Amino acid sequence: MSSLAQMLQASGASIEADDDFEAINALMREKGWSDGLPIVPPTEARVAAMLEYCDRPWDQPIAKIPPRWGEATPLLLAANAVMAGCQPRYFPLYMLAIEAMCEEPLNLYGVQATTHLCAPLVIVNGPVARELDINCGHNAFGPGHQANATIGRAIRLALVNIGGAIPALGDMSTFGSPAKYSYLVAENEAESPWEPLHVERGLPLEASAVTVIGAECPHNVNDHESLTAEGVLTTIAGTMGIAGVNDIYYQSHPLVIMGPEHAKMAAAGYTKAEAKRFIQQRAHVAVGKLSQENIDRRVKITFKDRLANPKPDDVIYAVQRPEDLLIAVIGGAGKHSAYVPTFGATLPVTRALKTADGKLAKSVEDFRRR
Amino acid sequence: MNQRVRLVVPEAPSPQAVAVTETRVVAKGGIRLGVLDNSKGNADYLLRFIVDGVKALLPVASVVSLRKDSVSLPAPGAILDQLAAESDYVITAMAD
Repeated sequence: MSSLAQMLQASGASIEADDDFEAINALMREKGWSDGLPIVPPTEARVAAMLEYCDRPWDQPIAKIPPRWGEATPLLLAANAVMAGCQPRYFPLYMLAIEAMCEEPLNLYGVQATTHLCAPLVIVNGPVARELDINCGHNAFGPGHQANATIGRAIRLALVNIGGAIPALGDMSTFGSPAKYSYLVAENEAESPWEPLHVERGLPLEASAVTVIGAECPHNVNDHESLTAEGVLTTIAGTMGIAGVNDIYYQSHPLVIMGPEHAKMAAAGYTKAEAKRFIQQRAHVAVGKLSQENIDRRVKITFKDRLANPKPDDVIYAVQRPEDLLIAVIGGAGKHSAYVPTFGATLPVTRALKTADGKLAKSVEDFRRR
Repeated sequence: MNQRVRLVVPEAPSPQAVAVTETRVVAKGGIRLGVLDNSKGNADYLLRFIVDGVKALLPVASVVSLRKDSVSLPAPGAILDQLAAESDYVITAMAD
């Protein structure tokens, strides 16, 4: 493998600048390489430190990121990770998240380029989530934890700088989303009464993993009054029955985030699979809630077998099959859950963290160069 | 005076696209036109308008019109294969 110094000799691989924080940040903004917030200058030394946690060739692409289909090499990813403020030990998980979201089922091209306001949501499971102190509890989607903030930010920088998701050019989102700054959490496995998300999706408990979803921001489900599983699951299902989400028109996989208190209440009466079935059967929107134009131009076509001539009380399901619903337990104390609609034309991807020789990683230290 | 520092460029260049430069051979009876409707609202109207415009300018031997089911998903391989086999030129469109 070439050394980093050799790689940086390649045309366009590096630039020189005055060693001045403000000047470098101005340069990054001028080049379009920033998300608008100040960045950490991606000096050769910082990038080299980041790559100490990469066990693969630094100049070989691990994925191609649409819509530009730019080649995501560890070298480029390391530069973006430095800029985002990542610690070097975050790098293996960051690379895994990028690889997972570039797999075909996620339809990253659509997620990146659409007028919809989705962004790739990364949910981390397993021992590495705890090793890196990825927040899964109070304010998990909010500020306060370096790993959540900076790995999520590094993902966005890569989507822009490597993938070309430049606002109004490669990213045509009408509104954008705060989730396009950073959107990464861990599941609160310790407080979950059910099997973790990555286990449900076929990985061993000891694996560390990411699940990536092309998702909207979470929408809160407030239920302080229910005292039973049926009560809390009914409120969640009721929240999902809304007319303007993409999911009602696709066989998609929306996400329900259950706060630990709601999850424990639900688990007193239901397995996870039973809870999914309960929600799926009750999470629907009546055709009469949709405009006649939507009924004529979309419902009658998409559901031609079942709703060719729909009545106002006929229903469209928020999720078409119980097994398509994702449930993760995230958050701290409080009687809240959340509904996370998706882009619709996207499927979740779950991948385990493995070293270059294909073994499940026990720790990010497994990736460190000796 | 500040010292100079080397920064790693975080941007990937666009992949090199290879332009098709050879002249297409079109049968004497006219071009075989392909149309891919992306299922966006009014795409069908826009495409019919464009096809009529092409017919007014050029001899058109045939038109094969196909539609993908989802705006947001790529066209299935079977549709692309049929368009490649039965068309000299393909028009697709966004609408709304």
